Amino acid sequence: MQRRRSSKTPKQPQHVQHKNQTDLSAWRKGGKIDSEKSLQYNQSANDQKYDNQEESLEQALSYFGKVQDCVAPKKNVVQKHLDAVESTALKQGLPPEGFEILLNVALSGRLADTVNTQLLKSLIPASVIPENSVVTAVSWLCVSKCSGNIQLLFLKWLITVFDFIDHKEQLHALYGFFFSFLQDEKLCPYVCHLLYLLTRKENVKPFRIRILLDLQAKMGMQSHLQALLSLYKLFCPEQVTITLPGKMKTYFKNSEGPWKAAITAVRQRNQGPSPLSQAVFLGTSQPQSRKRKWNAQLVIPASSTNTNHLEEDREKSCFYLHNTNESFPVEQLQTFPQLLQNIHRLEFPSQMGSVLTNPLLLHYMSCVKDESIYLRLYYWMGQMLQEECTWCVVDNPYEEEFKSFLETAYKAECFLQEGFSACEEFLYKTLPLWDGFCCRSEVLRLVSWIPLSSFSDIKQYLFDPLAQLFFTSSIYFKCSVLESLKELLQNWLNCNVIQMDLEISSGNTTLSGLVNVVAELVDFVGRISTVALRLENNSTFLLYFILDFYGTVCDMYLKYNLPLLIMPPAGVFYPALLSMDSVNLNQLCYIMYRYRTNLVAAKENELSKKKILQFKFSNQTYQKYNQYIIAMVGCLWTSSAFQKDIHPQGLCMDDKLLSKTAVKELKNSFNIVYHPAMMGYSVRFLQQICPDDTTFNFKLIKGKKWDWYLEYLYTQGLKGLKVFIESSISRVSQAARSKAGNVEA
Amino acid sequence: AVRGRCADVRLSALSLCPQFVGSDEELQRRLAETILQEKKDFNINIHLATSLPLPSERDHLRPRIDLVVFMIDIKSKYSLKNVETSLAYVDASYFLGKVCFLVTGVGRKNDCSIETNAVCKLGEAYCSPVLFCELELEGVRVATAQRLVRMLGICAGHIPGVSALSFVSLMRKSNDD
Repeated sequence: MQRRRSSKTPKQPQHVQHKNQTDLSAWRKGGKIDSEKSLQYNQSANDQKYDNQEESLEQALSYFGKVQDCVAPKKNVVQKHLDAVESTALKQGLPPEGFEILLNVALSGRLADTVNTQLLKSLIPASVIPENSVVTAVSWLCVSKCSGNIQLLFLKWLITVFDFIDHKEQLHALYGFFFSFLQDEKLCPYVCHLLYLLTRKENVKPFRIRILLDLQAKMGMQSHLQALLSLYKLFCPEQVTITLPGKMKTYFKNSEGPWKAAITAVRQRNQGPSPLSQAVFLGTSQPQSRKRKWNAQLVIPASSTNTNHLEEDREKSCFYLHNTNESFPVEQLQTFPQLLQNIHRLEFPSQMGSVLTNPLLLHYMSCVKDESIYLRLYYWMGQMLQEECTWCVVDNPYEEEFKSFLETAYKAECFLQEGFSACEEFLYKTLPLWDGFCCRSEVLRLVSWIPLSSFSDIKQYLFDPLAQLFFTSSIYFKCSVLESLKELLQNWLNCNVIQMDLEISSGNTTLSGLVNVVAELVDFVGRISTVALRLENNSTFLLYFILDFYGTVCDMYLKYNLPLLIMPPAGVFYPALLSMDSVNLNQLCYIMYRYRTNLVAAKENELSKKKILQFKFSNQTYQKYNQYIIAMVGCLWTSSAFQKDIHPQGLCMDDKLLSKTAVKELKNSFNIVYHPAMMGYSVRFLQQICPDDTTFNFKLIKGKKWDWYLEYLYTQGLKGLKVFIESSISRVSQAARSKAGNVEA
Repeated sequence: AVRGRCADVRLSALSLCPQFVGSDEELQRRLAETILQEKKDFNINIHLATSLPLPSERDHLRPRIDLVVFMIDIKSKYSLKNVETSLAYVDASYFLGKVCFLVTGVGRKNDCSIETNAVCKLGEAYCSPVLFCELELEGVRVATAQRLVRMLGICAGHIPGVSALSFVSLMRKSNDD
C-alpha cells in the first residue's frame, strides 16, 4: 500500500480540474488554506504530499462523476483514479461530497465488479456521510443493476457506517424498501441488522410481522430474524404473540467489513492522541448528539464537525418539530425543567449509547421503565464491548478510550443504580481469560454491578475465575477484589431494600433466592479471605479490607432488612483478634457489637413472632457468635483466653503446654493492656499517669486506673472498643470492677 | 539441609515452551528475564526447554525442580500437541501442585486456533491451574511474572501453612461440590 501510494504521487498531471474544488478545499484540515495559495509558499514535503493527494482525489471524483456517460472506460485510467480514492480514503477519509459520486458509480453496475468492490471498500468517511448519497444508493439497489455481491457489500458498509450518516429521516422513510429485501436469502441477515437499527414503533405493522413469521417458518429459527422479531415484540407485544428465547448471546455476526479498522485509523490520524476526544466523548450536552450518535463520537474527529452542519442540524430539527410535532429533539434537551415539560414527547436517540453520558436522558430512562429501551441499550453496548474488547488486543492504541468507555458504563450503572446485563455478559466472557492487569480498576468496578442472578452463573463465571486470579495475584489486587465484592454485596442489598419498599414480588428473585445468593457471596469471601490471610502472612492491610467487608455483613438484618447473618470464619476472626494493629482490633470490636445488636433484634422479633418467621437464623449462628464472644472477652478482658475459648479452631491450650513456653504473665498477654495492638496505648497511658516511673509497671493499671485507662482508650478514638465493652461486658459493680466481667449473649 | 536458611535456598522453575516459528522462544526468554528481575527473597533458576524429556546426560547436575510451567500458544495447535506429548514424561508426583499451564497470546483472540475450552480441559485432566496472559504486553508480562513467582514460592514450601497440594486444590474449579 505504502509503495503504491508513493510511486503514484509524484506523477501528478499538471492539469487540474476545478469542478469540485471549492467543496473539497473546505473539507481539508481547518478548511482555510486553499491549494493554490499553499502551492505558492514553500511547504514541507508532507503538506505537498497532502495537496497532491487532494488534487488526485478531486480528479478521481470528477472522473467518476462522468464515467457514467463514458462508453468504454479505459482500464488503466479507472485503476489510477481508483488508487487515488483508496489511498486518500485510508489516509484521511473521504469528504462528504465524495460519497454520492462514488456510490453512484459503485451501485450502477457500469464498471466491473472488482472496481465496484474496491470503491465500496474505500468508502471511509472523514467526517459525515450525507443522507442523500445513501438514499441515491438505495435507489440504485432497488433497480438491481449491480450484482448480489455488491449489494451485500453495500449493506455491510451501511451497517458499519450507520452512525456516520448525518440525518436519518429519509432513510427511515425507506423502511419498506429495506424490508422488501428480506426475501433475498443472502441479504436477509444484513437487512435484518439494518432494520434492527432503523425500526421504530410506527414501523411495526401486522403485515410485516406476518412476513417475518413466514420467513422464520421457511428458514428456521435464525438469530437475526429472532432479533428483529423480539424488537417488534417489544414495541407491539400484543401483535407478536409467538414466544422467543429470552436471552440471546449475539444477535448479529459482526459484519466483518474492512471499514472499521480503517475508520478508527483515519480518526486517530485526523485527530491525534485521544485525550482530546475524551472531552467530546463524555460531553453531556453536545448539540448534535441526536444525529451524531455516541459511538460515532468515539470515532468521528471532533474538529471535523463544521459549524455550518450544526446550524443545518438545528434548522432541520426545528423543521421536524414544527412539521410532525411528535417528538422533542433530544439535542435541545438541556435542563431538568425542559425534561419535565417534554417528558411525554421525548424520543430516544436512534443510537442508545448517547444516553449513557446524558444525565437527563438517564433520568428519563429510569422513569419510563420501557423494556425496549434497555434492549436497545444492551444490544448496542454488547456490540461495543464485544467488538472493542480492547483490553486483550495487543498493539491497541485505544486502551485509554476503552477504559473510559468502561468507566462511563460504570457511572451510568451507578446513576441508575442497576447493573446492565450487557456488562455482565462482557465480564463473564472476559474474566476467565483475564490476566488481572489490563483495565484492572475498570473491570473490578463493573464487577460491583453484576446483577443478582442465579448462583450457578455467578459461581462459574465470577467466583471461579476471580478466585484463581485472587490467589496468585499481589496483595493489592486482593484488596481491590475484596473492595469490589463489598460494593457488589451492598448493591445487592440496596436493590433488595428498594424492592421490599415497593413491595414488588418480582418473578425471578424471591427472597429466599436472594438470601441464598447473598449467603454464597459472603461464604465465598470468607473462604478466600482465610486463604489470603495465610498467603499474605496476616497482613494488616489485607485484614483491613476483609473487616471492611464484614462491616457490611454484620448489619444485613437491621440495615438492609435481610434475614441473614453470617459470622466470619475462624480464619478471619482469630487473625483479627490477635492482630498487631489497633485499627483492626477496634473494627473487630465494632463488628462484634453490630452482630450482637442484629442477633438480639432478630431474637426479639422471633419471640414476638412479628415478621419474617419463615427465616429463622440457625442456631449455629448464635452458637458461633457465643464462641467468638467468649474468646474475645477472655482475651481482652478477663485474661482467660487460653482456658475459656471453646471454639474448635480457637486459642484453648493446655496449661502444661503453655508452661513450656516459659512466658511470664501468660494469661494477661492479650488483655487490653498487654495486647500487642494495645501496647502503645498502655505505654503512653503509663507515661501520663506516672511520668517519673520508667520501669513501665503495667500492673499499675487496675482498679480505678483501669477505668481511667478505658476512658483514655475511648478518647484515643477506639469507639469500636467502647461500644463493644459497653454492650457485651457487664461490669459487676462499680466497686468490684477489677478484671471480672461476664458475657451476656 | 536446605530448609531453614532462607538465603541459601535455591528454587528452580522449569519453564517449558514448544519450539515453533516466530517470536515465541523470544517471549519465553523475556518472561524468564522478567521473573528474574522480580524482587524476591530467594534465588530462582530457570530452565528453558522446548519439549520433554530433558536430555539425560546432565541429570545428576540438575537441581530439584519446583514448578513446571507449560506454555501453550493459543495461536498454534502444534504447541498444544507438543505440550500434550511432553506431559507424558512428567513424574506423577508433579501433578500434586507443581505443574501449571500458561496460555499465551490471549491478546490476539481473533487469530486463536485453539479453543480455550480444550486448554481448560487439559488443566482439569491434569489437576493443574491454567493461567491466561499476553506476554507481548510489558505490563501483563510483569503481572504474569509476579503471579508465577508467587506460585513458585508456594510450590517450594516458602509460605508457612500452604503446601503446593493445598494451593492447587484451591485453584481448582469447585464444580464437583
